[in-house]
Amino acid sequence: MGLIGEALAEAWRLLSTGDSAVYEIALRTAVITACSTLVAALIGLPLGLGIALGRFPGQRAFVSLANAGTGMPPVVAGLLVSIMLWRSGPLGALGLIYTPGAIVIAQALIATPIIVAVTAAAVMALPPPLHYQVRAMGAGTPRYLWLVAREARLPILVAVMAGFGSVVSEVGASMMVGGNLAGETRVLTTAAVLEVSRGNFGTALALGFILLAMIVAVAAVLTVVQHRARRA
Amino acid sequence: MSAALALRGLAVTRGRRRVLAVDALEVAPGETVAILGPNGAGKSTLLLAAALLLPASGEVRLFGEAATRSNRVRLRRMTSTVFQDAALLDMSATRNVEQALAIHGVPRSERGARAARWLDRLGVSARAEARPHQLSGGEAQRVSLARALAVEPRILFLDEPFAGLDYATRARLVGEMRTLMQETGVTGVLTTHDHAEAAVLADRTVILVEGRVVQAGPTMEVLRAPAGQEVARFLGHAVVDAAALGLGPGWVGVPSHAVRVVEAATPGAREARVTAVEAAAGGARLALEAGPAALVADVTLEALTEARWSTGDTVHICVDEARVVRL
Repeated sequence: MGLIGEALAEAWRLLSTGDSAVYEIALRTAVITACSTLVAALIGLPLGLGIALGRFPGQRAFVSLANAGTGMPPVVAGLLVSIMLWRSGPLGALGLIYTPGAIVIAQALIATPIIVAVTAAAVMALPPPLHYQVRAMGAGTPRYLWLVAREARLPILVAVMAGFGSVVSEVGASMMVGGNLAGETRVLTTAAVLEVSRGNFGTALALGFILLAMIVAVAAVLTVVQHRARRA
Repeated sequence: MSAALALRGLAVTRGRRRVLAVDALEVAPGETVAILGPNGAGKSTLLLAAALLLPASGEVRLFGEAATRSNRVRLRRMTSTVFQDAALLDMSATRNVEQALAIHGVPRSERGARAARWLDRLGVSARAEARPHQLSGGEAQRVSLARALAVEPRILFLDEPFAGLDYATRARLVGEMRTLMQETGVTGVLTTHDHAEAAVLADRTVILVEGRVVQAGPTMEVLRAPAGQEVARFLGHAVVDAAALGLGPGWVGVPSHAVRVVEAATPGAREARVTAVEAAAGGARLALEAGPAALVADVTLEALTEARWSTGDTVHICVDEARVVRL
């Protein structure tokens, strides 16, 4: 049996026997990614709405900045967060470096511009009469924002999906700010890199399968939500 | 009694260009005023500014209360606006109406019945569960009108609400709107470029050209007696040198219904050359050259089919002097 066959057999063994180390890494990855996507959505959705609907000087610059931020390299995000959280850095006293919290911050930094840019684009693409109509119905600002966001709900959901996709598969930032510590900050991507460097292709492949399954599962759930939202 | 709507020194500037400058305009309670004007005249800008949907300098008063930053939303809730684009929210027709009722603080228990009543009144109860993309243009506009009227506004702003509809739907809806506005007694402000809509719906008409009011008065008076060449042209009159028609000095406006195509032997008939044949509501329109005068004449489809007029043909016409307007 060649290398690929051996790797596949080992991956199957790890997955079918419920290897605790592998599943622990998968669970940690799910929790960290969910947290960073949630943080990015909580920051990105209001910011996206604000940039799209607000009238303020430098509005276009903000849109450009958000668009540019969608290409934020994970290693740059990791570097920035490392500098901030490093023991001698401005936020070093928080003691967050090499913790799951540091990974959440770095991943949120990667996902937020994506959510901001897609949300702003979605809201700006709504027909102008709709904005007048909602105001004309007598909506105050909170109701106006809610109804506009509701009209753009499908692309906004895409924004969140894109944010999730960008962080679940990144490795550079997690490695830099998390340190890939066993049992603490090791996630699927960093673990896979480590196992490949050790020549454990079977374990790396098992981790890769779980990562893919996670992405497919989240995409499936969001697709169902998307269809329901379209019917609502 | 305070005017339902009073505008003073209302101005809107885009870039360096002043697109609206209205010194004063008042609409009495229960009255409907049409704002007529060609494309780009500033009709929608005026309506949006009056409906407190567009920032403008000057003063807007609703039932005596001047609009400020702090009372803007509350004053808007005294009004409803229907746009050319029905702009329905992506939800069922019923929920669109209910959403407006919710904003106006109508208790949840009353919303369903009230939405159903207004959808029925506008003839779209069978489409109550349809989403916007499942509605025809006419149906969507009916839902939009139901949504606007269900909140029982004191002022109803209508921004060319019938412009995107086919002729038959538009004619029917305009008639129904007249009845609804009379029954509800709502104050109305309508923008349109169609003077027939103004004639059916409005007590008074304001003609707006390049952002300025150039004529205002009772609708039939404005339509029958345009105040100048600009207004006459907008109303579809041919503006000609009176001398060319043997009517003395000055300029006159000749409406299309003042020009009749007649037999050559008809007393007073004059020769004219057809320069264009155009479609018109319910018939056709001939563009004519009668000597130095460029005129237009309404003809029935039967007459057009029978005579088969085309560009370059010679016809004979009579001008009804009683319908000619001196400018």
